[in-house]
Amino acid sequence: MKAKTKKNPYAVSWKKDWQKNKTVYLIFLPVFLYFLIFHYLPMFGLVMAFQDFSLAKGVFRSPFNGLDNFIELFSGEAFPNALKNTLIMAAFSLTIGFAAPIVFALLITSVKNKKLRRTCQTISYLPNFVAAVVVTSLVKMFLTYDGPLTALLTSLGFEQQNWLANDKPPVFWVINCLMGVWQSFGYGSILFVASIMNINGDLHEAAAIDGATRWQRIWKITIPSIMPMIVMMFVLQIGLIFKTGSDKILLLYMPQTYSVADCLYTYTYRLGFGSSPDFGLAAASGLFQSVAGTVLLLLSNKLSRKWSDASLY
Amino acid sequence: MRKKKKLKGRYDGGMVDNPTLGGKIANVIITLVVIFLAAICLLPMWHVLMSSISDGFSLLSYKGLVWKPVGKVNLEGYKLVLQDSGILTGYLNTIIYVVGTTGLGFILNVMGGYALSRPTKLSGAMTVFIMFTLMFSGGMIPTYMVMKTIGLVGTRWAVIFSEATMAMYVVIACNAFKSVPEATVEAARIDGAGHFRIMFQIMFPQCKSLFTVTLLNTFIGSWNSWLTASIYVPGDRSKWPLQLVINELTSNNVNFLESANPNYSRYLVQFAVIIVATLPILIAIPFFQDKIEAGVIQGGVKG
Repeated sequence: MKAKTKKNPYAVSWKKDWQKNKTVYLIFLPVFLYFLIFHYLPMFGLVMAFQDFSLAKGVFRSPFNGLDNFIELFSGEAFPNALKNTLIMAAFSLTIGFAAPIVFALLITSVKNKKLRRTCQTISYLPNFVAAVVVTSLVKMFLTYDGPLTALLTSLGFEQQNWLANDKPPVFWVINCLMGVWQSFGYGSILFVASIMNINGDLHEAAAIDGATRWQRIWKITIPSIMPMIVMMFVLQIGLIFKTGSDKILLLYMPQTYSVADCLYTYTYRLGFGSSPDFGLAAASGLFQSVAGTVLLLLSNKLSRKWSDASLY
Repeated sequence: MRKKKKLKGRYDGGMVDNPTLGGKIANVIITLVVIFLAAICLLPMWHVLMSSISDGFSLLSYKGLVWKPVGKVNLEGYKLVLQDSGILTGYLNTIIYVVGTTGLGFILNVMGGYALSRPTKLSGAMTVFIMFTLMFSGGMIPTYMVMKTIGLVGTRWAVIFSEATMAMYVVIACNAFKSVPEATVEAARIDGAGHFRIMFQIMFPQCKSLFTVTLLNTFIGSWNSWLTASIYVPGDRSKWPLQLVINELTSNNVNFLESANPNYSRYLVQFAVIIVATLPILIAIPFFQDKIEAGVIQGGVKG
């Protein structure tokens, strides 16, 4: 009985717990303060979204205006456009962007030479560590009017142009998607490579002896074996649609391509830090983004738990 | 035991041969495709590297991919980088940000992880407190307002604080501490070791490899970050990190042509500065390959 109370921290009285663990709580204090100030205070700061906020008056004295900010957002043109672009670009990255690492993992695990395989894998995830500023500079460099990629595209029959200034769909979306693929197909494949390598080799051998072709073995053995991983990653990706990777768009887009390139993140940024800031409106846009992100995250987490026994929380 | 069995049955890619002619051709094609993809990963950086040691004037009129230096090989671009006070300040600031962020983040991760891993009455509440921030966030505007209210906007602290750590890292640290056997901790306590001693001298050495990934991620994240600085120190060039300087250099690179006697080597600066900022990281990565992979796999298996 005595041993049991000692093991279970919840059975101890508060006083005893404090006496025993006050140093632990003291150690936690800086972390508590950090998260309180930089994560929880901003959440309370979201009341700005319901205010006619002005810098001079601050959060406490700015007058409330109910849902006016949201009405203004949804009745304007820019916000629905940004929402549309966010969803379209997410669709691109959930299809092409998601398939690329899996295809690469299937390819690279079929390379027989171990040294070559390892070298190629290392090289493949270098781009993931290249800074956003550098990646976008490279994109600009290669796709400008006389850039190398533009030259290649021109020789394929496309009109010579500065591709980044092209506001016809789907040019910007494809550029953005391929930039993402270039940066993360190798890094994203690490998990898939690991799980493909962990498939029991006997399965492949047995199938090969029974006359299964390579193609059949990929579809009947490899893919089913890594399916739980694929489902889990896909569902997690859905949950992160509103949370990731828009800072590169901030560096790539320009006023003439807002119609296709502007997304929620960049729109909020422009509202808050652009030439004529409207913090109330920006906070409303940010709140929409946060809430939509949280709902998606919880939903995807639930799905992931249902389908693959794995979850974020 | 289970692990051993798994290792023995590993599919190493060489177990199933494809002795037919078609199979061999397929192997060659696959290998070539993989090499091609790896080459595409390197190609843009190669282009920049070769451009940076080209002759500025010939490079200006050169079109297409720069396979090898255009014109006479020279290091003018790098010389100008070394003379440019803006770039040097940027480099210095980046180092300040990286050291500050990684240091503060490490301290917070270790302390938070340790506190969460101890069996206390509040450990559940503390975990929820941390985890909730993974799910919901105030977003950049309210965060900016908080920074402004406490007077950090315009200082380097704003950048350091906003990138120091996040919930995921504290949770990873907590799991690291939990992986240390409780018996070791108990033994140390009986021998009279306090919490700090247990944390740093007993537990940390046993699980430090699990911290490498968080350290590496914070380090690279901070090295590559530009957005936080552009929000919190936008007007003050003396506090700009290297990435903001690069962004400016690559965005308006044509300005120098307007002067009467242009120095064409100025054109090389944008390439040289990209190399100077990126190459150190890219060269370091292969040495951490195993850690990076282990970190991704751990994260994936767990989450």
